[in-house]
Amino acid sequence: MLFSEKTRTLDSILNADPVDSLFSDLLPTANNNLARHNFEVAPVKEATSFVKKWNNSCHENLKIKFNHGTTTLGFIYQGGVIVAVDSRATAGSYIASQTVKKVIEINPYLLGTMAGGAADCSFWERQLALQCRLHELRNKDRISVAAASKVLANMVYSYKGMGLSMGTMLAGWDKRGPGLYYVDNDGTRLKGKLFSVGSGSTYAYGVLDAEYDNELHDEAARELGRRAIYHAAHRDAMSGGFVSVYHVKEDGWEFVSRTDVAELHSIYKTDQFLPVS
Amino acid sequence: MDYNGAALVAMVGKECVAIASDTRLGVQFQTVSTKFQKIFQMGKRLMLGLAGLATDVQTMKERIDFRLKLYTLRENREIKPKAFMNLVSSMLYEKRLQTTFYTSFALFLLFSRFGPYFINPVIAGLDNEGKPFISTADLIGCSTESTSFVVSGTCSENLYGMCESLWEPDLVPFKLFFTAGIVEVVSNVHV
Amino acid sequence: MDCLIGIKFNDFAIVAADMTNAHSIIVMKTDENKLYKLSNKLAMAISGEQGDTIQFAEYIAKNVQLYKMRNNYELSPKEASHFTRRILADNLRTRTPYHVNLLLAGYDNQDGPQLYYMDYLASVASVDYAAHGYGGYFSLSIMDRHYLPTMTREQGYDLLKKCVKEVHKRLIVNLPNFKVQVVDKDGVHDMPTITIDSLKNE
Repeated sequence: MLFSEKTRTLDSILNADPVDSLFSDLLPTANNNLARHNFEVAPVKEATSFVKKWNNSCHENLKIKFNHGTTTLGFIYQGGVIVAVDSRATAGSYIASQTVKKVIEINPYLLGTMAGGAADCSFWERQLALQCRLHELRNKDRISVAAASKVLANMVYSYKGMGLSMGTMLAGWDKRGPGLYYVDNDGTRLKGKLFSVGSGSTYAYGVLDAEYDNELHDEAARELGRRAIYHAAHRDAMSGGFVSVYHVKEDGWEFVSRTDVAELHSIYKTDQFLPVS
Repeated sequence: MDYNGAALVAMVGKECVAIASDTRLGVQFQTVSTKFQKIFQMGKRLMLGLAGLATDVQTMKERIDFRLKLYTLRENREIKPKAFMNLVSSMLYEKRLQTTFYTSFALFLLFSRFGPYFINPVIAGLDNEGKPFISTADLIGCSTESTSFVVSGTCSENLYGMCESLWEPDLVPFKLFFTAGIVEVVSNVHV
Repeated sequence: MDCLIGIKFNDFAIVAADMTNAHSIIVMKTDENKLYKLSNKLAMAISGEQGDTIQFAEYIAKNVQLYKMRNNYELSPKEASHFTRRILADNLRTRTPYHVNLLLAGYDNQDGPQLYYMDYLASVASVDYAAHGYGGYFSLSIMDRHYLPTMTREQGYDLLKKCVKEVHKRLIVNLPNFKVQVVDKDGVHDMPTITIDSLKNE
């Protein structure tokens, strides 16, 4: 609402900009074909650099606040996919919320995680949900995790360099079995068995890499996901709140648990003193 | 301009011209290839040398080829060196306007790749009467003719020094060839 | 941080690409494929900006295939390199340039094996051997020292292993795995992936 007086759509700016019209014939055909949305953007010549200005550290009080601190993880194992996340939202050093839902339930077979800009993640994953539903209606068949992740990657790639911020994992189950993809705002799309994203990801990787095993049984796998997020939340000031765990199985995802980090702390703390067998 | 590196020299002799270049393609200090072409024959008695950013050397070579073919087709004759120089110069100046179009210098820096082609062309040839012609231009097409020698590229200072000491008027082709060659070799040792 | 290496011999060309994908200080993946098959006798190794690499490689690969369907014959390596350069150069002066470095290895039925070096600025050079990334600072001199155009496939693979060994030994970045492909008169062939273990067992 900041620019409600003189808002212009992104497309009209792209077409009206003198710099652009000069080079319109040079714009890559590969990028042009991607679907564009009609966004309202700042009524200035260069929306990209305009946003950059307000994100500049010298305008601390005017900064557009992004939800940057997060820990999310996902891994494939013998029994499906485990997705676990924290729930803290920070704006600078201020904790804006301790009860954010960072797992986005795209449909009964697909989960998306949220790291980076909260608005960007929720918007584009909802957009993805729309595309997935359309795919179902058109093809009488559920979209594969591979295809869904590519749809998302292509959408955000067409806005590359324009200030989107998202690091997301897509987890699901399709004909090929369990699927896990990492997609981020520079258009990267990686298939893998184990990912962690966000400011606390290094801590989560530390726990995860040491104890991960494909042959884990269900309860151990869920516990590993929970523990990895807990340790990240403990070490990373920007992560915390509650640990949510989801489990994706052949018949869709299932919500497993939501536990306060403080509660986990009291449990795991005593656990540390138990003799290791 | 210094990114890929080049050394170009052209000289006037007695009823002849010479043009010489190195053939190195580097990425700053790393040598990638030693067979990179920077001099191109554009007519029976017309040579073009392009020093500067390698990608623009290749792009401009292709664009000049294209414009030259249109010219020869339309005029049904070979281009004269002077007209060719004007062609190259005006092609370079086309991109001049696009550099000033930006609303701020910061924007120009952000998208500086939009700017001109980063090359210094050198043209050497003989006109219809067999009179030598050499010239050079800057990256936005400001051309300069010369009756002695022209240099271009990363180590133009060194090239100037060698030319000043070795070149003399009315060198015969054989001597001119070696003079240009020596200038290249001596100036080039540290490129 | 990526490393691509390519070598051309008398009757085949060989390309190798590391398989690491890293974000800032985190290794996300060590089994990524950075080699693309463009046509029957043409392979491309690509590195650079995340996102751009895959979009660009797939765009080129699909267009090379489209050309084959439309014209009933394939682009030669030289023609494909011109096409790739053109796309890269045209996009260079837009607000969305592709930030990709690549090597093109192919086999031409007339001219034999070909190797093209291309950087993100779209400078192209036909070379005997080339490398992209920090690995180039170690491997180029190794190839200068040991390269012979007459080498066999096994000798070529060994030369590549020498380069990878040095990268493992001296480069601070962790690039454990290298995928290798050979292009010869019969097409594109996979070679065994070079890993830390495979080098250890010698």
